[in-house]
Amino acid sequence: MPIVFAAAMSHAPGITAWPEAAPAGQRDNLGAAFERLAADLHSARVDALVLLTSEHWVNFFLDHVGAFCVGRAEAYTGPVEPFLRIERREQAGAADLGGRIVAAAYENGFEPGFSFDLEFDHGSMVPLHLLGVGNDVPVVPIFFNTLVAPQPSAARCYDFGRVIGRALAAEKQRIGVIASGGLSHDPGELRHGIIDSSFDELFMQRMERGDAAGLRGYSNADFAAAGAGAFELLAWIALQGALDGARGHKLAYEAVVPWATGMGLMEFDVA
Amino acid sequence: MSTYTLQRLLRDVNRDPALRERYFAEKDAFVAGYALTPEERSAILAFDVGKLYALGVHGLLLRPFTIIHKMSEPDYLRAIRGEA
Repeated sequence: MPIVFAAAMSHAPGITAWPEAAPAGQRDNLGAAFERLAADLHSARVDALVLLTSEHWVNFFLDHVGAFCVGRAEAYTGPVEPFLRIERREQAGAADLGGRIVAAAYENGFEPGFSFDLEFDHGSMVPLHLLGVGNDVPVVPIFFNTLVAPQPSAARCYDFGRVIGRALAAEKQRIGVIASGGLSHDPGELRHGIIDSSFDELFMQRMERGDAAGLRGYSNADFAAAGAGAFELLAWIALQGALDGARGHKLAYEAVVPWATGMGLMEFDVA
Repeated sequence: MSTYTLQRLLRDVNRDPALRERYFAEKDAFVAGYALTPEERSAILAFDVGKLYALGVHGLLLRPFTIIHKMSEPDYLRAIRGEA
């Protein structure tokens, strides 16, 4: 069955940890877009959700760095951060689906890491929380190394997404896919607070058009120039790979300085 | 990124509630459990955020660590930029 729901969104912790810091107009615009996505996800009646995301030193550290990690756990917990204003809870995992994604990857030129024991931080919990995903919808998280150089290339992430998309198309279940992270931001670093709106707008246009060449052509230097957090867009690029060029629609974009992030939300034409 | 053990200390405090509690309750003893250089040890005990950043602690370890210490964003940015 084809993917029945696909979306991409930023996951800055300020969205839930200090929402009041953002200007009301920006907050309202983004809030309406999150509500629309939540409603569309609900209408899609997904059996399982694949989360293309990044994490921030929670599961992975410098003792072992891999490019990709697919979750195969029966359950996850999160968020790890005590300041996120999201209650720590359990989230069911679609362990078998995770295993099938790993197997499909190994048969098609990718050898991602995999794990039966992962915790969630804001990179996963903010999307689940804002889209109203509860413990009744099992998830498969797929983490991209966005923190430590060398990160996987945009082209490689797009192609990994293609493999994931084909694996999901072979499923009988109704599956949704969400990409989480970005857009331009430099969290905790010297340029914390920078937002490059023209980078963000062009990136979202390429996502809207399903512009494979444009998306695969981003270099690590392009992302670094848009802030260390822009590497999280590798997950968005993988989503467009999974969708094989489906049209997307920007639901909202705001450069939210108090959240130090170019905040974007998109939904894609699927099924 | 050579400050492996120092970064591991921050990560432990950030992600593990029991270790976080112990860090705040008995900081000297907690820090003594990590094989840090004298410079790293004094930076962490003095909560010298500018020094920790200069030593190479990743921003996504250091900023959550400072949020747990109730440090405001402007104060954090002044510290890592050496403007304090």
